[in-house]
Amino acid sequence: MSGRRLPGVLVLAAALGIWEALARARPSFLVPPASAVFERAGQVWPTREFLATVAASLERLAAGYTIGAAAGIAVGILMGASPAARRSLEPLAEFLRALPPIAIVPVAVVVLGLGNGMRIAVIAFGVCFPVLVNAWEGVRTVSPEARDTAAMLHVRGRELLYRFFLPAALPSIVAGLRVALSIGLVMLVISEFVGSPDGLGHYIRFQQSQFNVPELYGGILFLGLLGYVLNTLFLVAERRLLAWQDGAAGEPVR
Amino acid sequence: MSRSADGLVLRVSRLVKRFADDGPPALCDVSFDVSKGELLAVVGPSGCGKTTLLRVLAGLSTPTEGAVFLGERTFSRPPREVALVFQDYGRSLFPWLSVIGNVMFPLRRLPRSERIGRAEAVLEQMGLRHVAGRHPWELSGGMQQRVAIARALVSRPEILLLDEPFASVDALTRAELQDVLLQLHGEPEHRRVTIVHVTHDIDEAVYLADRVLVLSPAPGRLVGAVEVGLARPRSQTITRSSAQFLAVRNEIHALIAAQPAIRSDGSRAG
Amino acid sequence: MKRANLAGWLLCVFVTGLVEVCVRVFDLRDSVPAPSATFRALVKGLASGALTGAVGTTLESYVEGLALAIAAGVVVGVVIGSSRTLVDCTSILIEFLRPIPVVAMIPLAILFFGLGIPMRRSLIAYAAVWPILVNTLYGVRGSDRMLDDVARTSGVTRVGRLVRVALPAALPSIAAGVRVAASIALLVGVTTEFVTGTGGIGSYMEEQESAFHLPQLYAAVVLVGVLGYAINVGLRVAQQRVVFWVGDERLAAR
Repeated sequence: MSGRRLPGVLVLAAALGIWEALARARPSFLVPPASAVFERAGQVWPTREFLATVAASLERLAAGYTIGAAAGIAVGILMGASPAARRSLEPLAEFLRALPPIAIVPVAVVVLGLGNGMRIAVIAFGVCFPVLVNAWEGVRTVSPEARDTAAMLHVRGRELLYRFFLPAALPSIVAGLRVALSIGLVMLVISEFVGSPDGLGHYIRFQQSQFNVPELYGGILFLGLLGYVLNTLFLVAERRLLAWQDGAAGEPVR
Repeated sequence: MSRSADGLVLRVSRLVKRFADDGPPALCDVSFDVSKGELLAVVGPSGCGKTTLLRVLAGLSTPTEGAVFLGERTFSRPPREVALVFQDYGRSLFPWLSVIGNVMFPLRRLPRSERIGRAEAVLEQMGLRHVAGRHPWELSGGMQQRVAIARALVSRPEILLLDEPFASVDALTRAELQDVLLQLHGEPEHRRVTIVHVTHDIDEAVYLADRVLVLSPAPGRLVGAVEVGLARPRSQTITRSSAQFLAVRNEIHALIAAQPAIRSDGSRAG
Repeated sequence: MKRANLAGWLLCVFVTGLVEVCVRVFDLRDSVPAPSATFRALVKGLASGALTGAVGTTLESYVEGLALAIAAGVVVGVVIGSSRTLVDCTSILIEFLRPIPVVAMIPLAILFFGLGIPMRRSLIAYAAVWPILVNTLYGVRGSDRMLDDVARTSGVTRVGRLVRVALPAALPSIAAGVRVAASIALLVGVTTEFVTGTGGIGSYMEEQESAFHLPQLYAAVVLVGVLGYAINVGLRVAQQRVVFWVGDERLAAR
């Protein structure tokens, strides 16, 4: 494994080195040296204020993600299992799915104000649709033999949804959840640009307004790192949850 | 015709199954009885409607005309007394449950201790005790089909339906599973479950069954019901080389050969 | 030919009617304008050119940014994808740059480019390039060895093989990447406009929100949704024309 990754790591190090060299050779206000960025990050990141701001962001993300995922799974499974539900909800779902989530922000602001509720709603909206589409697809592709088996085992009504369709669609749902995680992060940042007292989105905007360029780079870097860590944690959890999967993972649907 | 003392358990009366209103029927005027404890095989060429017939017996499909009686009543949904083993065990067993999880599934309304007890007993009977904790996809085809059979048996059905259950396994495993089925059928514990076994393999049908129904190519009609009359218990080596076995088998082959062939445009020749 | 989804549209009409009634009866006009008012605002905005002008501005930098991303993404993707060594070298770099939410870079882009079209265009291009690059890469790497061998024995040069064998073979993957990139680009574009007030439909929405002109705001939201949907459908049709030899299942994005 390390044999394959070594060139990549070297290239990454080389890229950082080039950044450093260029920034020192031609000092520019807008491009601080990598070392300056990391130094500043080392000073800022462990502070209580920064950690509190990160915590606030993570709380919102968790809340919005949970709500959006639950809604997406529930409606997606319903649409997959019931042709009537699918036909009624399809035009509305297709429209909302195509809507760039940013457009929901002013609506959310107008309806919910500028508080946490708005931010969580915005995140939930962004998270809901990839999950919904994947849950729907997961249910739709359940084989006729499997459905017949469920009929023979007298699985009906609500039980059919959560004891049969839900586990059967789980690989597809999980793939959708993974995509939704990065969307959730994007919506978090966007929602925190708008009238938020704290959070990473607010932090970045603030640093920009104060022309604190190294801190700004640091903030962006932190978000990238956060995204990477969350994604990795997700993959670990996925492997645990889908231990029964024999390798045929569901592809994310967009 | 041999009838056990307890009488009929299934009666099929003038069954017609059509899928399109204007199209030809898949099954046409099929009538037969199944006695309690009987092992009935159904054979016929591809497209003769064997699987359709089984699905109607299972309650997955309703008759277009005619009726199927379970005891005295008809049914429109899979009845509790009937269990079905599918050909494609890969798609039928639930991959998210372990072997014992799958086998316990039909008993989910019962208290936990009873569920586990009954499931373990059936697993023991099918020789699956040692893989109870594994997942179906970790097992070989033959083992998976055993799990499917175990799951069908755990609910103590009166009637066990099998849809070409051994078609997807290799020949050696097939022989093994045939003997497992025979053993189950003879088990006093199950009070002789009634079995309807659909297969394209005539030798298998004769080896296993008390009686073999022969269907014609589409539209499927009953063209013969052959009594097998071979002694039980049966053995792969002895029974299959007996004169009686060959005679019955040839009789069935003759019945099928006598059917007009199907031309490529779907019409019958002759 | 799909029958018109009567149930679905009826539901939409019913919901719209319900909203109209509720808004009037409960006087919710502070949060949700009556659909009739929204519709009127939509028609007026389109007729007067306010909305169409905004959409035009949005589309300008959108198309430019997306075109840039396609060009860069495909070229770089093909080059990297053609060599195992290059893939190994760059994969970690890509892995780290990809999860950074591009909207977090808006403040940075403001510092770099100021407020205007170049800023929007570069952000859109940066955001859109990743899915295209990664999908091109996978497409080229995944293409049939046999096709390449046939070309090689026919005496086609290395570059020729890249352009005439690997590239067409990678087209389904690239097409899927472009579709993902298109929705990301729209999101980033409209978000940037919203957050920085630099023209286009995003800024229009922000203005209407601040001025509390709710019918106009909601009209704009609807329009953005229609725009997103139209782009999606248009690309799907284009994809089926260009990559006509592939069935739907193979067109999943990564």
